[in-house]
Amino acid sequence: IFTMDLYNMAGSPSTRAIIMTAKALGVELNSKNVNTFVGEQLKPEFVKINPQHTIPTLVDNGFVVWESRAIVVYLVEQYGKKDSPLYPEDPQKRALINQRLYFDMGTLYDSFAKYFFPLLRTGKPGSQESLDKVNNAFGFLNTFLEGQDYVAGNELTVADIVILATVSTTEMVDFDLSKFPNVDRWYKNAQKVTPGWDENMKRLENAQQFLKDNMIEKLKV
Amino acid sequence: TIGNMDFYYSPGSSGCRTVLMTAKALGVELNKKYLNTREGEQLKPEFVKLNPQHTIPTLVDNGFSIWESRAIAIYLVEKYGKDDSLFPKDPKKQAVVNQRLQFDMGTLYDSFANYYYPLFRTGQPGTPEDFKKIETAVGFLNTFLEGQDYVAGDHLTVADIAILATISTFEAVDFDLSKYPNVDRWYKSAQKVTPGWDENVEGVQRLKDMVNAKKAEHKKN
Repeated sequence: IFTMDLYNMAGSPSTRAIIMTAKALGVELNSKNVNTFVGEQLKPEFVKINPQHTIPTLVDNGFVVWESRAIVVYLVEQYGKKDSPLYPEDPQKRALINQRLYFDMGTLYDSFAKYFFPLLRTGKPGSQESLDKVNNAFGFLNTFLEGQDYVAGNELTVADIVILATVSTTEMVDFDLSKFPNVDRWYKNAQKVTPGWDENMKRLENAQQFLKDNMIEKLKV
Repeated sequence: TIGNMDFYYSPGSSGCRTVLMTAKALGVELNKKYLNTREGEQLKPEFVKLNPQHTIPTLVDNGFSIWESRAIAIYLVEKYGKDDSLFPKDPKKQAVVNQRLQFDMGTLYDSFANYYYPLFRTGQPGTPEDFKKIETAVGFLNTFLEGQDYVAGDHLTVADIAILATISTFEAVDFDLSKYPNVDRWYKSAQKVTPGWDENVEGVQRLKDMVNAKKAEHKKN
């Protein structure tokens, strides 16, 4: 029996990155929803699987891995064709992809989450300082994309997919991508060429609805 | 042959020390170029040309510029390693190393920075809540190290080196590791088996000197 379970929250950017990667590889995932808003990740059965109890977590026939950017690389290496363009073997190409993945984690997604997630949860935005960091991060991405169709090299890689999951999250808030023309151009193209984009959008729309419903409840109180 | 390997760094920086130790482990010689980031040397046009994100560490390998310490460490192993032991090629083993590296960036070092960087800047640390996050993160590391000599598998990898750089940075602020017996045990052992440890110690001491200077400065004011 072949089982590939993904413990996830449907709308989260990290989950969406994995969904699109799996689509690109033709890998089927068995989705197991874990609602972290109500602490479902702290159930003993899940902590047994992942002692850090974070989502997304992948369980590939008993092999457990978490951290979305580790998962997407694992999926390509395990299930992609040899020297897959999504994560090529050449050390220099890989290094560039890896740098973009760490940039997403530590700078792009990090700044976005710190400014916008409080906004989505409470209706109150983060500080001006944290908004400046978001604009700085998108500015760097804009520079990386100068004269480039993809974020790391000449072809679609896991770096594009992960950064697409992050950047598409801006659809949920009032963020003007046109200030970053290279990012805007890349984003419009990435939507057309990235497998699983429709699924990504659907999950974003569902997440937006979920938050609307939850925030309305908060306002009533 | 290796040729010209310029390494832009600051000795106190944890990420820089990760690369220094990895290079030592591989027998790779770096042409070290110190950048004083407190005086904004990384913003000089010549450096921004090499790295538009103007961060350290940055490695320039015969014209190929790469940044993000963990991406650099992996690159060095893949390009110059005699074997894959520091960064296994096996997808599952590699996935564990990657997860630990991303835990280091996004959880462990992140918690340290959130609490202690304000201390370095203003003399005031972060909140008690921020400190709790450090304890939680080190707690996770302690769990990962239950019955394990290394952080990711059964031998030294770049994950040990990166986390060693991080944990040694905790020494600059006298963080008490004894409450985390597995981490304490691993830390004592890692110092003995990781090449380049002495240089790491020097870097941490530089950082400690800076921290103490800042503390004295703020006491006066």
